[in-house]
Amino acid sequence: MDNVNISKPFSVIIAGVGGQGIVTLSQLVMSAAWKSGYYAIQSEVHGMSQRGGSVNAQILFDKFPVTSPTVLEGTAKLLIGMEPLESLRYFNLLEKNVSVICSSSPVRNMPIYPNVDRLLAEIKKIEDSLIVDTDKISEELGSKGAGNIVLLGAASKKLPFTNEIWYQTIKERFASKEQSIIDKNIEAFNYGRKL
Amino acid sequence: MKFYEEKELLVLADEAISFGAIDAGVKGVFGYPGTPSTEAFEGAEKIIHALNDGRIAHWAANEKCAYEMALGCSYAGGRALVTMKHVGLNVAMDPLVNSALTGIKGGLVLFVADDPSMHSSQNEQDSRCLADFASLVTLEPSTHQETYEFTIKAFELSEKLRLPVFLRLTTRLAHSRGIVKRVESLPVINLGRPSRIETHNWVLVPGYARERYNYLRQILPVLERAVESYNTLTFGSNRIGVVVAGMGRAYFDQLCRQNEVVRTFTRLDVKAYPLNHEFIEKMCAFCDVIYIFEEDYPYIEDMFIARKKSARIHGRRDKTIPISGELTPAKLRKTLNIECPEITHKIEVELPARPPRLCDGCGHADSFKAIKEAFLKMDIADFRVFGDIGCYTLGYEKPHECIHSTVAMGASVGMTFGAALAGMTPSVGVIGDSTFFHSGINSLLSYATAKVNANLIIFDNGTTGMTGQQRTIFGNDIVKAIEGLGIPKEQIHSMIPLPKYHDENVKKLMEVFKAERPDVIIFKRECVQAAKNRRSATK
Ligand code: SF4
Repeated sequence: MDNVNISKPFSVIIAGVGGQGIVTLSQLVMSAAWKSGYYAIQSEVHGMSQRGGSVNAQILFDKFPVTSPTVLEGTAKLLIGMEPLESLRYFNLLEKNVSVICSSSPVRNMPIYPNVDRLLAEIKKIEDSLIVDTDKISEELGSKGAGNIVLLGAASKKLPFTNEIWYQTIKERFASKEQSIIDKNIEAFNYGRKL
Repeated sequence: MKFYEEKELLVLADEAISFGAIDAGVKGVFGYPGTPSTEAFEGAEKIIHALNDGRIAHWAANEKCAYEMALGCSYAGGRALVTMKHVGLNVAMDPLVNSALTGIKGGLVLFVADDPSMHSSQNEQDSRCLADFASLVTLEPSTHQETYEFTIKAFELSEKLRLPVFLRLTTRLAHSRGIVKRVESLPVINLGRPSRIETHNWVLVPGYARERYNYLRQILPVLERAVESYNTLTFGSNRIGVVVAGMGRAYFDQLCRQNEVVRTFTRLDVKAYPLNHEFIEKMCAFCDVIYIFEEDYPYIEDMFIARKKSARIHGRRDKTIPISGELTPAKLRKTLNIECPEITHKIEVELPARPPRLCDGCGHADSFKAIKEAFLKMDIADFRVFGDIGCYTLGYEKPHECIHSTVAMGASVGMTFGAALAGMTPSVGVIGDSTFFHSGINSLLSYATAKVNANLIIFDNGTTGMTGQQRTIFGNDIVKAIEGLGIPKEQIHSMIPLPKYHDENVKKLMEVFKAERPDVIIFKRECVQAAKNRRSATK
């Protein structure tokens, strides 16, 4: 290891429920970091926990080699929450000046789901937090899956990657799909970017 | 550019193994799905499918079968990769241990993924101990690039030593995505089969086996020397030492990025086993205190404790690090007395757990409901059902509460029978089709002529649901297969676990449970996820 550089990686947490598309979203962030010339590493959960349980992905990137795929408590700079309850589950990982982008739409696949307004109030205690009504926006944009990409668009403002990189990343990710799907995703991304 | 031609990859470490094997000119890839190892096979399968150049990727019925297929591929002269999870290795132990005696022809690499913290496993066993037990060499990378490179080197090493070589990852690396730069891909290699003379190595009857066994026992120093260059001892300006392997090394390197003091430590980087004792002796002579960061068992640690002289060894044995559970960046900091960042965002609401559950519309739920009701209608409120490994293990939890054991792949079949012999009546077990063919089928042979009330319920959804819906190896009619084992036709019952057949199913189950004879019940319904995959594949 070179002995000069002291550096802390930029850490991102994506939280949600198995089946919500966390792996896709985290791969987009990971690719964008890579394309922007960063060293990057990302961990994700497979197997049993995917069956509708709590799932999180973590991405760490830096100008220097990153070898830890897991985020140290108290150091995450950005949390993308696809669901209110799951977002709160990882608050111990967040640093003081964290940015939080969170969907207000709960996934209620459990016997008792806490009061959503209380959960959102807790999230809003973070100064730099943005709650996104993904259900409503998805309906507005006429596509069920748009919510995730809207969240990504909103989160992209907190990440040091250019718009060109993001567009290219999204295009490549959906390259096997029809042009209209790519356009829809770019539209959703831009929508989030403006929030 | 096609995905398999890309020179720089963003892949799971599991997939770095897939690419490593392809670039090493692998001929055959074999395995049985098991988290966190599955993607190594799947990655290779995808490339092999696209290359279409005569290589093979084959899911076997279980890990033993997979290992034996790999050994056969090696015997035929081709390089072979075999993939499995740590507990799967228990199933493959018989051919594995003996293949250390026969030796190999084409390079044979065994990728085994350990699962500290048991993210999706029933224990935390450490495959390094099993490699040691078989007298084999293990490579243990800690980055994606190393995983790729070590895969290629493992094939070379295997051919050089004429022994199978272990490649060990743990969950965090196996399931993290990182960057890999590829080298030039080798063509498919064929070393030819063993000569007539060589074949006596392969016949392990005592006369020849003794010779092979003595040889294996004597070459330990050769194995140590063969991997010596992987391990590095770097003396620091400090008499504090660290020994780092696997994820311990990954986390320590990250810590070095953020903390100048730890960079002055004396460090031993372990990337391969068996570990030469000279490293241990030199380090113990120089350091006052040594911290050991490795995943799972205190394997290296015990070697240090045995040779420590006056050095103080800190690790899992003295509880500096908890004896079970995976390493984390925070555990390293706490062990080394380095401050952890303050946790500023404390929350004031309670967060109920969100456990995994069966998919909506999964046939298992309807099957459980019917089984439970059959027992209740027979006035057996405190019933017991043997369970097995798969999505249906969730049948232990609410709202199903229908199974009462999960031990090992296929165990339900034998346990149901053993309990029936011991007088439990009715004795009932449930198992999925993939797990049944994995290693449940052997025990079913005992049912054929027995006179006890053992009832095996097979959930036939045609897939290995939990690990990502790989097709079950046995594609044909499961009823015919069971008939073929000698179970009389009238003792085999097919049912469809759909709500509309519920009452009918309950009635049938009651009849079957009451009959004092062995019965096999097949609940047949496609896995919802597999059906989804099938539909999107044919779109
Ligand atoms: S993956 Fe298939 S078998 Fe597993 S819970 Fe879902 S539907 Fe059931």
